[in-house]
Amino acid sequence: MAAALLASVALVVQRPGPVNAQGGGTVEVTVTYNGAPVIEKLKVNKDTEKCGTEAAIEKVVVGGNKGLANVVASVPTAKGAPRMVKATVDQHGCKFVPHVTAMMPGELELKNSDDILHNIHTYSTANSSINKAQPKFKKVMMEKFEKPEIIKLTCDVHSWMLGWLAVLPTPFFAVTDAGGAAKIENVPAGKQTVEVWHETLGKQTKEVDVKAGQTVKVSFEMKK
Amino acid sequence: MRALGAVIVAVSIVASVGRAGAQAGDAQAGKAAYEKKCALCHGDKGDGKGPAADLVDPRPRDFTTGIYKIRTAASKTPTDRDLFDVITRGMPGTFMPPWDVLPERDRGNLVAYLKTFAPDKFKEAPKKQELPKEVAASPESIKRGKEMYEAIECNKCHGAEGRADGPSRAELKDEWGFPIRPANLTKRWNFRGGGGRAEIAMRLATGVLGTPMPSFVDSVEKPDDIWHLANYIASLGPEAPNYATLLSAQAVKGNIPDDPDAEFWKRQVPQNIPLAGQVTIDPRNFNPSIDMVALRAAWSDTEVAFHVTWDDPTQSAADAAKKAPPDAVSLQFPQKIAEGAERPYFLMGNEADAVYLLRWENGKGATEATANGPTKIAPLAGSEATGKAVYANGQYRLVLKRPLASKGPDRPRFQPAVFLPVAFQAWDGGAGETGTKMSLTSWYYLRLEEPQSNRRFVVPPVVAVLTLAAMLLVVRVANRRA
Repeated sequence: MAAALLASVALVVQRPGPVNAQGGGTVEVTVTYNGAPVIEKLKVNKDTEKCGTEAAIEKVVVGGNKGLANVVASVPTAKGAPRMVKATVDQHGCKFVPHVTAMMPGELELKNSDDILHNIHTYSTANSSINKAQPKFKKVMMEKFEKPEIIKLTCDVHSWMLGWLAVLPTPFFAVTDAGGAAKIENVPAGKQTVEVWHETLGKQTKEVDVKAGQTVKVSFEMKK
Repeated sequence: MRALGAVIVAVSIVASVGRAGAQAGDAQAGKAAYEKKCALCHGDKGDGKGPAADLVDPRPRDFTTGIYKIRTAASKTPTDRDLFDVITRGMPGTFMPPWDVLPERDRGNLVAYLKTFAPDKFKEAPKKQELPKEVAASPESIKRGKEMYEAIECNKCHGAEGRADGPSRAELKDEWGFPIRPANLTKRWNFRGGGGRAEIAMRLATGVLGTPMPSFVDSVEKPDDIWHLANYIASLGPEAPNYATLLSAQAVKGNIPDDPDAEFWKRQVPQNIPLAGQVTIDPRNFNPSIDMVALRAAWSDTEVAFHVTWDDPTQSAADAAKKAPPDAVSLQFPQKIAEGAERPYFLMGNEADAVYLLRWENGKGATEATANGPTKIAPLAGSEATGKAVYANGQYRLVLKRPLASKGPDRPRFQPAVFLPVAFQAWDGGAGETGTKMSLTSWYYLRLEEPQSNRRFVVPPVVAVLTLAAMLLVVRVANRRA
């Protein structure tokens, strides 16, 4: 699971940066957490060949050096051309993979690679919430999210399934990996505000001075 | 003639004004009707927190969210007609009654007023949900519907045979985080938006907003599958329960089968009896799990047998460690069957008049008891009652028997051709029902029908033949005289 998470985060990081990248710098974000991981375990009573016999709801994932995973880091006010890369959430092993997905307003690809019924049920206010069945033969669905907001993803068939979709007004974002690190590239030079968001630990912001062609480091500490 | 024409014109004007009233209501006038009829549950502010709200399960709708279960719209917002229809028909299976007693204009005004609780949601005109061309019910369509039911895994919540016993049942929550039950698809009369095929197809297409029931319009293999599914679901149960008023037990010679699945029982027509939650004594049961039992009954020279069928989504036996109560059912009779209309208090009797209970409990079997009220139940020693039950796909089928002759004065005598008072109680242990937290009925009458001799098949033809002979004789005599 950790490997899958890493891979998906890596995918986000490798995406091409915004087009007007000239004169941009890199922001390296590190997020740490001073508490213990919160992973709720639940016995599974159905679809065990796909879901396993025990489900884990990963609410706070803490890696090495207290690094906090699944944090959305972004520069909300920086403007840039939209990313052309498709955002994807896979329902795999009765989990949303990745657990946290960041995207710009547009279409999200929803995959069902489990060969069983899932229903994608979103909780949102700015966008209309969705509750659509995705039976085993419906491998891919496309859904539009046009307004920036953070949206909770659930599945009523498997109540432990929990995911988050951050629809952001900016192309400058990344999600922290298992070590709590995220790299935002080609951020326009100048004073910028970096925002980090975690599903249970909330939001923090910090000012950074981005210089063209250079890397600026910023660290956050989330508290209980 | 001219006067008649004027009357017709006047009537048609009034009629069209009436229709217009239903379409575009007056919110201000709706407020007055709302405060009189709706606020008790739905609250003055429309937030679903009226004084009676806590006694109502499922909870009253919070109108400020603009989330409505029953829509014919592809968008989230219901049409005015959808709201009007819910007010008119109520929400079957819930505390929301039909308000067709209100004048049509009041209902139209109420629609306008409801919308003012969530003005943002009603800014955009709702988009109509289109359905593919209707497919008539046929064995082929129902077969395809069953295939689709399995392919899209409706069983996950609604169960393999539709009795709301799917494995995800216990996990389901509504938009507000309250537990919610899937619909029992074999009881169409409880469908919130109506049990007709077109209504079922619409629910499948739009989903039920604010609940786990998702939209399937883009999630079936072919567009027509929506109709095949609707036809299959409609085939799972009757449109109406056709509740029995008078119960009867058939006379049998020899043995009455013990096996609840015996052909003998399948041949009998079930007598459906509605159950309601017990809300007289604490703890009360405002959202009972079991809302109906179906009775088949038979008696012989030696015994009386009751075949009881009821839906229970979870099979549960008593578990002391988990403090979990068992599933149970009981048939109640007066301890002494008096002549006349006098009967003990329906709720398990009282101090003055005892009742006799023929009870079955999962894990324990059949027992006999007397009661002077629901908290004063005394088991009877030397019980001769027997019970055999099967449980499958969210349904119990039970044969409960007792000797016909009564053993001692604590037990009533079962006599044929007498109107015998009977009442029913049921507990779903899995839903935490025990003690006074039960479903029950008031008194019914049961009649042990007398054996029907073969005379009724012999005597009338003999009489007919003799009459014919006599007539022929008369004709012949008359002809001879002529």
